[in-house]
Amino acid sequence: MGAPGAQNRQMFWRIVRRLLTANRGRLFVILLALGAGAAVTSALLNLQVDAKRRITTEFRAFGPNVLVLPKNTSLSDSGTLPETIAHSVPANLPSGRVVVTSHLYFVAAVSAPESGKSIAAVVAGTNPVIFVKASLLPAPPRADTPTALPPSTRRECVVGAKVARLLNAQQDAQLALTIGDRRETCQIAGFLQIGGPEDDRVQIGLRAAQRLADLPGRISSLELIVPGKPSEIQTYITELQHELPDADVRPIRQFTDAQTKIYGRISGILNFTIGTVLVLTALCVMAAMTNVAMERRNDVGLMKAIGGATRRVLRLFLAEAALLGLAGGVMGAAAGIFLSVWLGKQVFGVAAQPRLIVYPVAVALTMIVAILSAYPLRRLAGVRPASVFRGEA
Amino acid sequence: MNRAPTSATTELMFLRLVADSFTRRPRRKVLTAAALSLGMAVVTAALSVSLDVGDRLASEFRSLGANLIVTPQADSLPLEIGGVDYRPVNAGAYLPEADLPKIKTVFWHNNIVAFAPVLQTTVKTARWNRETQELENPAEAVLIGTWVGHGVKLSDGGVFTTGIDRTNSWWTVDGHWFVDGRRECVVGVKAAARLNLRPGDEVSVNVEDPSKMVQLFTPLTVTGILSTGGDEDNAIVTSLDQTQKISRLSGVYRTLYISALTKPEDEFGRRDPATMKPAEVERWMCTPYISSIAASIKEVLPGTDVRVIRRVAEGEGTILTRVRALLWMVTLAALLAAALAVGASSAASVIERRTEIGLMKALGAGSGTVGFLLAAEQLLLAFVGGGIGYSLGIVLARLVGQRIFGIAPAPSMLVLVAVLVLAAGVTLLGSAIPMRRASRYEPAPILRGE
Repeated sequence: MGAPGAQNRQMFWRIVRRLLTANRGRLFVILLALGAGAAVTSALLNLQVDAKRRITTEFRAFGPNVLVLPKNTSLSDSGTLPETIAHSVPANLPSGRVVVTSHLYFVAAVSAPESGKSIAAVVAGTNPVIFVKASLLPAPPRADTPTALPPSTRRECVVGAKVARLLNAQQDAQLALTIGDRRETCQIAGFLQIGGPEDDRVQIGLRAAQRLADLPGRISSLELIVPGKPSEIQTYITELQHELPDADVRPIRQFTDAQTKIYGRISGILNFTIGTVLVLTALCVMAAMTNVAMERRNDVGLMKAIGGATRRVLRLFLAEAALLGLAGGVMGAAAGIFLSVWLGKQVFGVAAQPRLIVYPVAVALTMIVAILSAYPLRRLAGVRPASVFRGEA
Repeated sequence: MNRAPTSATTELMFLRLVADSFTRRPRRKVLTAAALSLGMAVVTAALSVSLDVGDRLASEFRSLGANLIVTPQADSLPLEIGGVDYRPVNAGAYLPEADLPKIKTVFWHNNIVAFAPVLQTTVKTARWNRETQELENPAEAVLIGTWVGHGVKLSDGGVFTTGIDRTNSWWTVDGHWFVDGRRECVVGVKAAARLNLRPGDEVSVNVEDPSKMVQLFTPLTVTGILSTGGDEDNAIVTSLDQTQKISRLSGVYRTLYISALTKPEDEFGRRDPATMKPAEVERWMCTPYISSIAASIKEVLPGTDVRVIRRVAEGEGTILTRVRALLWMVTLAALLAAALAVGASSAASVIERRTEIGLMKALGAGSGTVGFLLAAEQLLLAFVGGGIGYSLGIVLARLVGQRIFGIAPAPSMLVLVAVLVLAAGVTLLGSAIPMRRASRYEPAPILRGE
């Protein structure tokens, strides 16, 4: 009489094992339903976390969204800022790197010695210079991959399409820029047609521009690409304005406003679809499981006939359901990792980073669903063994 | 009594068996149908939202403003820094305002959401002091003339209301917009601070006329303060006709901003139509790529350059393509999960009927008849469950659409067909494997309970 408890427990697990392995077809069906649910749950949860972050980085495609300008510019005198202001801009945010470009704008006489034409045009001194070859267009200048020119090796410039047309300028031709007796030359590295004011400008390196305009160390504006959610960008602007009291920091509202609106919609859609899919997937799995559980009448009847207490019988089935949930959940979550990696690759070209927290959550959810699906078994507590064995329904 | 069963009694028996299996154990059938309905509801909602979301988001993206810019071909080079054009007053070319209604005659006229012509000039400003009867506070400002809520009469007799308030939805006015034909204006936040203007004030503007001895100032009533976050914050904005009068340039504008709904450009859309075969050109023209819309606008507005504002168009294209792909993936995942769960539940419903199958076979039913009977049951279930699921899913999709976009997606017949086909396919597939095993059952061991 030493260990009836241990014996009992042994018997308990033995019955559970038998229940699980008795019908392999059924086991397979249950694991399939639970695994599918877990896989989709973990993949979608992972995607939901990842997709929102990625969508915010996609908004970089719009280019700069924050401007830093000199304060109190009157109409005729646009004013300048010290170049060093670019160093006081915080470049690393939790949401990614801030891309900073400095610009100096002025009007200069631009002439092409080869065609002999000369016009007045806006010259933009830019640091770093983003070179876009004409043939690459219409791809926009991707701000995250600027090809910066090493300073003072070769002087190159990017010419707006309209300037190039008026000057009859060809690729690799020389351009001369003059203001009074100051003169700079550069070689045309490419043309730009992007439907913005850049089409009417000549972009050169910032150093050359500062020499030409006789404004050493000065810039007209900073353009920033600030990544992150709309609220994060707003906080960044407020903080930057606080840090740069002598400058005017302002969002380019055309893009920040649209981003706020569109980001709200997209995250709304994602939340809603993923939420409904998760809830309904759980319900589907539950319905499938319940169907399987219902056929256990005979087993229950037999157990009760040979003296099983209702509580113990129920515990038996709940243990079975939990085990199934665990197994299905683990298998499904493993499949979910691959599914989410694949989904991320399909959508963003980059594999979604697996978030480890997602998987225990998915397994736990699956177990809960499995146990809840066993709930209708409570009805079996009322099963009368005799009527089951007589074959009455 | 060896009576051969007539085909009529066989059919009757068949129907009776099917009906019997539904009425005898209603709870199980209800459960299987519930799994099916829920699964199909997921599929319906996901499909409806995905089908609809592209168009909805595309119109959301129009809050980015114009994606096409039209300028005169013969225009001289703009010398624009910080929103101020430093060209001499009479330099450059203009475009006729009278041509504008033609924009709504192009093939893609339904895709053109809004457009706004802009005429910009530098003006001298002053304030009229009623007491001293003199002009005070002389200053300079940029004057922008454009449309706001302007009705364009179309050739078909309709009126299309458009203007800068529709293209640039991020422009906000504290007060109200000016009205066409009245001497009213709105003033940018910065200009208002600089010129010390408030709504209700009057500002007098003038473009210098070298041929006249006396310069005439036009008084404009400030109706609101404009905030744009751009260079326009430093400008005075009034109606196009007032600007034309003030600058003595009647019936013209210089820049036209067009906001059009487009399909994101793919490989094909980026190709130069000059290098395409005739059939390809037709396909290109019949797809609302931004470049093909630009080409069709250029056709009706001769002497213009129609350029794509790449910053807007490309950004929109990238994000739209991504989001659409994302939603299709989610839909696909939902489909997969629903299909597996439904398949599993129909498999389970066949497995549990071993004894019944054994009995039928013992009574002389062939494997074919048994399979046919089960398949008929499953199909009936699939159509009922699929139908219920579809209606559930439509309600769900409406809820989602209403919450997010304020507009519910229209129920689509395509989705209904897809859902019913999927339901039938999944249930048959799910029960196929257990059914095959059932057809190999020997009746005797089953009936003995082994």
